[in-house]
Amino acid sequence: MTGGAMTGGAATARRQQAGWQRVLKRFTGDRAAFLGASLILTLVLVAIFAPVLSPFPGDVSEFHTAQRLRPPDAVNWLGTDRMGSDLLSRILFGARITITIAVIAVGTAVLVGVPIGLVAGYYVGWPSNLLMRVSDIFLAVPQIVLAIAIAQTLGPSIENVILALSITYWPFWARLVYAETRSVKNEVFVESAIALGASAPRVMILHILPNIASAIIVRTSIGMGATILTAAALGFLGLGAPPPAPEWGRMIAESREFLPEAWWYATAPGIAIFLVVMGFNLLGDGLRDILDPRIRRAVGRSE
Amino acid sequence: MRRLEMVLSRLAWFVPTMAGLIVIVFLISNVIPTDPVRIMAGENATQEQVEALRVKLGYDKPLAVQLLRHFQDVLSGNLGTSIYTQRPISEDLFKRLPATLELSIAAITVAILLGIPLGVVSALKRNAWIDQVLRVLSVSGLAFAAFWLAMELQFLFSMTLRIAPLNGRISGFGPDPVTGFMTIDSLIQGDWESLRSALAHLCLPALTLALPAAATIVRFSRAGVLEVINSNHVLYQRAMGIPSRLIVWKYVLRNALISTVTQIGLIFGVLLTNAVVVETVFDWPGLGSFAVQSILQSDHKAIIGFTIWTGGLIVAINLLVDIAHSLIDPRGAR
Amino acid sequence: MSAGMTAPDLLTVSDLSLGFRTDAGLARVLDGVNLRLQAGQIMGLVGESGCGKTTLARAVLGILPRHVARIDRGSIRFDGTDLLQADEKILADQVRGRSITFIPQDPFSSFNPVFTIGTQMMEIMRWKSPRRPVGSGSPLFHAYPRARRAADREAVLAMLDAVQLPQPKQILAKYPHEVSGGQRQRLMIAMALLPEPRLVIADEPTTALDVTIQAQILKLLRRLATERNVAVLLTTHDLGTAYEICDGITVMYAGQDVEAAPIDAFFRRPAHPYTNKLLASLPRPDGKVQGIPGEVPNLVRPPMGCRFNPRCDRATDPCRAERPALTAPGPAHAVRCYHPHA
Repeated sequence: MTGGAMTGGAATARRQQAGWQRVLKRFTGDRAAFLGASLILTLVLVAIFAPVLSPFPGDVSEFHTAQRLRPPDAVNWLGTDRMGSDLLSRILFGARITITIAVIAVGTAVLVGVPIGLVAGYYVGWPSNLLMRVSDIFLAVPQIVLAIAIAQTLGPSIENVILALSITYWPFWARLVYAETRSVKNEVFVESAIALGASAPRVMILHILPNIASAIIVRTSIGMGATILTAAALGFLGLGAPPPAPEWGRMIAESREFLPEAWWYATAPGIAIFLVVMGFNLLGDGLRDILDPRIRRAVGRSE
Repeated sequence: MRRLEMVLSRLAWFVPTMAGLIVIVFLISNVIPTDPVRIMAGENATQEQVEALRVKLGYDKPLAVQLLRHFQDVLSGNLGTSIYTQRPISEDLFKRLPATLELSIAAITVAILLGIPLGVVSALKRNAWIDQVLRVLSVSGLAFAAFWLAMELQFLFSMTLRIAPLNGRISGFGPDPVTGFMTIDSLIQGDWESLRSALAHLCLPALTLALPAAATIVRFSRAGVLEVINSNHVLYQRAMGIPSRLIVWKYVLRNALISTVTQIGLIFGVLLTNAVVVETVFDWPGLGSFAVQSILQSDHKAIIGFTIWTGGLIVAINLLVDIAHSLIDPRGAR
Repeated sequence: MSAGMTAPDLLTVSDLSLGFRTDAGLARVLDGVNLRLQAGQIMGLVGESGCGKTTLARAVLGILPRHVARIDRGSIRFDGTDLLQADEKILADQVRGRSITFIPQDPFSSFNPVFTIGTQMMEIMRWKSPRRPVGSGSPLFHAYPRARRAADREAVLAMLDAVQLPQPKQILAKYPHEVSGGQRQRLMIAMALLPEPRLVIADEPTTALDVTIQAQILKLLRRLATERNVAVLLTTHDLGTAYEICDGITVMYAGQDVEAAPIDAFFRRPAHPYTNKLLASLPRPDGKVQGIPGEVPNLVRPPMGCRFNPRCDRATDPCRAERPALTAPGPAHAVRCYHPHA
């Protein structure tokens, strides 16, 4: 509205800056997204500083059978497990496993899925259709079922869980990016870039990708939550990191035989999983509201 | 006529999807750089024992031959013999299918009965306290690890309050199997004691599975109602002075329900995912607990059989949802 | 139009000011708007998009977005009653859809896609039929007597015939997506006339249609309205549309009314500088199009005085200080300008 007298470049720059400031302002104004980001930040800090924060850092691998299954008290804030290890310390160290699995598995899935979706969406033809059909088939099966099949074939370890999750989750990003690319491809700015002779990789990376980035970011945040849940389920089934790794899902599985007496044993890692997944879901929801102009508009219209 | 075409094309899509699924499962279990035979044979097996098992299972043949045999086996229903039960895997899966279906259907029914009214209320009372509470609950409902929720419900209702059975499908022998659905079988045999027991055993596992599904449905139906409420046809009816309660409960609801139906397939996928672990916690003798037992036994063939069956189940459900959608939506499915 | 001058107004909008709350602040969408419409008259409400004509139409219908709109002052008198002060229940039951009906801009999205056309038309008849006794009954469990339903259905079929739709019975059984855009707008006109209203508000009724169909629909609307002595308030951004069917025109600019005139005076002796620029911007036979320099103002911080002053080549200091009062350059012709064209 004020851009009439400004030169095109300066006006665009100012508008972009204003756009980012608005996003930032909305972000801090959106309680849900802010809470989600705080939870995730806490997870990262906990993972980094686990040795410092843990009251008993050695308890990840040391056992004190004399102190097994103690309820929460002043020494062991969250109680102890079947080996007498401090549950709080194990949960703090477990954050490392959770974040490693989630970041690498989702990172790989994004790195595989996004280029596939981009290329399949950009070019029209049977290879694109084939790629999308394959990802449809992957999506037809519950992720955990394929992951179980893969992880079981490979044997239980963190690396194999990561591999299993990457193989099963890439189609989510491929599908999304494919659909978004198809819709952006017909926009004027992409067509004009093509008309001006920009090469295909250049168009894809410089013109299409930035425009679908927000959709990818939202999907990635929600995908992190889903991946953590699946990883925990694999751990619960004994397909994750082998003992004595303080993997949250495995801890819950171990606690089963001690219910109902040791109620704290399952509660603590369960709440840890809940908070982390909640963090990613809240962040994803908040980012969707902030970044996705279509939804913003729909909401604006209703008011 | 267009609908019939749509249904036929969806049916036709079922075949290549299943074929693709079989190929992918085969590739996953054979191309991944590991030796399934060695894992199957166990850690203590000698090299000779492994090789003997390899020849016995046909893993020594070229990959293409193996794939072809794999196809033959799957199509003829021959998935091998379970290490755990020593019975054909297909037979085991078939016997366990009703338990999983009964549980899933109960869960999705609860989820729909809970999710749709709450979603509509949430949308109508947009930004009021009840909407805020429901939104927090629906985000939370998707953040639980299902197996953990199952354990906490067991702890609360079975162990502490002692008002629900801890695990299993039924107390005693139960009705004679006809359909395999405990509730239906006891109903048609007039066995009220069994029916009561079956329903009591269903409560906790169905609730565990229903909560995340209900959370999803609340979100979809809320979004669906909001979208319709802001549509031009609602504006038009308001401008023409049609009573607003009638607009909401007759016109808006129908639109929102149709868009929610399209999500049922997706929700069923999430539900079956959770069923794998939840069945284990509740010792529910369905496909999921079969899979977990097979994992513990390193029963590779059983896992493959389970994967194909579950995949087929989901594909079939999506097919049914698509067909149902094309029948209830006069515009035809997408 | 000389007869219209002495007749009492059917609709009088006086000094109506209202704003929308937005992220950037209160947007003053209508600023002291005046409008007069006599029974049986077709009035074009003309202006660029964003000038407030749709908001004015919705204010008359009483369907402004509740949480966002804030009415500051003014009145909307319809047939002697101020609609802004009237009881909401009475408005919904006896005015909206009954004595004032609505033809929406987009006939496609204004039908509910999952109900048949017949269901939606009969829903309107159930509540708004002229044969319905006023008031009474809960909205959800309201009886629809068989005899009235049969009579209403006859009326619907007769009206479909009147709007020149072939095979009326078959059309009622169809879903909205199964008929063409032109047919949908004919249905909308039928639905607007069935309650036998005194005023129809038509919000850009032909914008969504093909050019070839636009003229047919306009002629149909004009003929039916005249036959039935129904007044029409027609918003449009297109002077050609207004010229085709209107008796009079009111021009709005950025939330203010600037000029109102009978149709011939409007095109022959436009007085306001904005009206003149608008007419000059019409495509001419020689193909030249002359735009209006400048931009539509920001409604959160609108210009003082006459809102057109930043783009007006006649603007002087008074224009920037206070909004001009109405003056009458001719019979039934009103303009708000310190420096009108002669």
